[in-house]
Amino acid sequence: MSSVLHATALSKHYGKQAAVDRLNLEIQPGRIVGLIGPNGSGKTTTLKAALGLIPFEGELKVLGFDPRTQRDDLMKEVCFIADVAVLPRWMRVRDALDFVAGTHPKFDRSKADAYLAKTKLKPTMKVKEMSKGMIVQLHLAIVMSIDAKLLVLDEPTLGLDILYRKQFYQNLLEEYFDEGKTIIVTTHQVEEIEHILSDLIFIREGRITLNTSMDEIAERFTEIMVSSEHYATAKALGPIDERSVFGKTVFLFDGISRSTLAPLGDMKTPGIADLFVATMKGTYA
Amino acid sequence: MNTMKWLLKREYWEHKGGFFWAPVVVSGLLALLTIGSMLFATVAGSQGSFHLDGNNAAINLQQALNEISDPQKIEFAKGLAVGYPAVAMPLMFTLGFVVFFYCLGCLYDERKDRSILFWKSLPVSDRDTVASKALTALVVGPLIAIAFALALSLLVLFTLMVLAAFHGLNLFGLVLGDTNFYLVIAQIISFIPVYVLWALPTVGYLMFVSSWAKTKPFLWAVGVPVVGGVILTWVNALAGSPFVLEGYWKVIVARGLGSVFPGSWLGEVAESNAAINPDNAVSMLLANTYSLLGTANLWIGVAIGLAFLAGAVKMRRYRDEG
Repeated sequence: MSSVLHATALSKHYGKQAAVDRLNLEIQPGRIVGLIGPNGSGKTTTLKAALGLIPFEGELKVLGFDPRTQRDDLMKEVCFIADVAVLPRWMRVRDALDFVAGTHPKFDRSKADAYLAKTKLKPTMKVKEMSKGMIVQLHLAIVMSIDAKLLVLDEPTLGLDILYRKQFYQNLLEEYFDEGKTIIVTTHQVEEIEHILSDLIFIREGRITLNTSMDEIAERFTEIMVSSEHYATAKALGPIDERSVFGKTVFLFDGISRSTLAPLGDMKTPGIADLFVATMKGTYA
Repeated sequence: MNTMKWLLKREYWEHKGGFFWAPVVVSGLLALLTIGSMLFATVAGSQGSFHLDGNNAAINLQQALNEISDPQKIEFAKGLAVGYPAVAMPLMFTLGFVVFFYCLGCLYDERKDRSILFWKSLPVSDRDTVASKALTALVVGPLIAIAFALALSLLVLFTLMVLAAFHGLNLFGLVLGDTNFYLVIAQIISFIPVYVLWALPTVGYLMFVSSWAKTKPFLWAVGVPVVGGVILTWVNALAGSPFVLEGYWKVIVARGLGSVFPGSWLGEVAESNAAINPDNAVSMLLANTYSLLGTANLWIGVAIGLAFLAGAVKMRRYRDEG
């Protein structure tokens, strides 16, 4: 079993409402996967199921472990930041490092100290004295010093300013990630993680609507700006989205070859945000 | 890698206020009060304001102490040697409160501030976490409280003896030569295992409510049994009192909620307390306490407490929504 995460018909109901609805998913090692979806689409629920934080139906294996019955083993190989600011407020930087060093067999204290030396955090500082950005720095320093096979980040930068956000992902990419590791990240700030992702998964109403590598996106999707003379021709090719800009129309195509489209106008690979908006239309309607 | 050691440290860091500073403050106040009044007595006494045996002539402390006969002195020393820890009783009462509110909060607060998501990101099982919290309540807290209690008791005792010696009454030989002086320390420490067993149902119940309540654990933990009792009593009274509800209050409310208070078991074992004197006090208290081990009351409580703790582990497994 080589896949990091393998879900078959994963479901989770809250009352009668299905938060995750017979979801199938496979994630391979060495990838950085963006799990993107609107509010209430089941991202967090899926991740919580994978981390053994909630019960669920269906089959789910994470690193070969069943999160329901083998959580204690699983947590030696998996690390997560579930939300910003979940570090206990009474804790000092020093206590946090001591505790993790004492309880996690794969924690490298010297690494954490080295990360923290680059920040303004002092060993005696308490979490409640820190800004949100500093708390995330501490949490990231802890997480990056744990040699886990899978790192799950659920909205890790929510509410942080752009300096902290940029630094967060930069650290992650430069100092943490390698081929032996896998990162799954959810965020609403899709533009900011676009360049670090290797795979993209869209989730909507508890189901996967898109699961592709970033390389494939360039091959599959094309955004093209078409003037009015070519409008009908382009429209006939079945675009998945259209919007008008300065009297021209921007079409988004899925699976139409670039050679077919080239005569119609200027082409480019769409950003994740455009793709997201196009495919999620009508979510809140 | 000693996970339990770190879990216990973690609880101590977070709850240092209750388990360390509360006994510091209470011991400080008790020391101030007792030693202060002793000093006051010696200062006031040196002026000569003592009246002995209806004798109206005012004498000073020195004279008063010299009046004490040898048999009186021996009796007094005996009492001191066995009774000196009594000064620290308020510390045990404080411990009861600290343990009560610690148990009620320990699994609720981590959900409320969402720090449970951090704790659960580490390879520490729910069973170990709950066990560490129960051990903190049942063993770590009492050990610290007893350390303070003994330190305070010895401080007060020695201050008293030094002051008495200054005024010509030397009790050191008699008190330190009395085996009870040492036995009573061993006896207090020997109470810990009994406390663990006796307090288990309350600790388990409170921790279970703490792991289960979505809001206001205190209201659920205390409100439900008390309001339930009031309603039962009321309905019973309206119906012309067909039931005797004393058992409900005694078992559910007093035993169920109050067992975290050290010594709350002393009323349970039927034995006449009237004949306590310095000679039999230690053995009597010990017998009184350890005879608990032969009662169904204790062991049923232990079983219930363990069942509640198991429930708390199950609850914590999947309760993270806060």
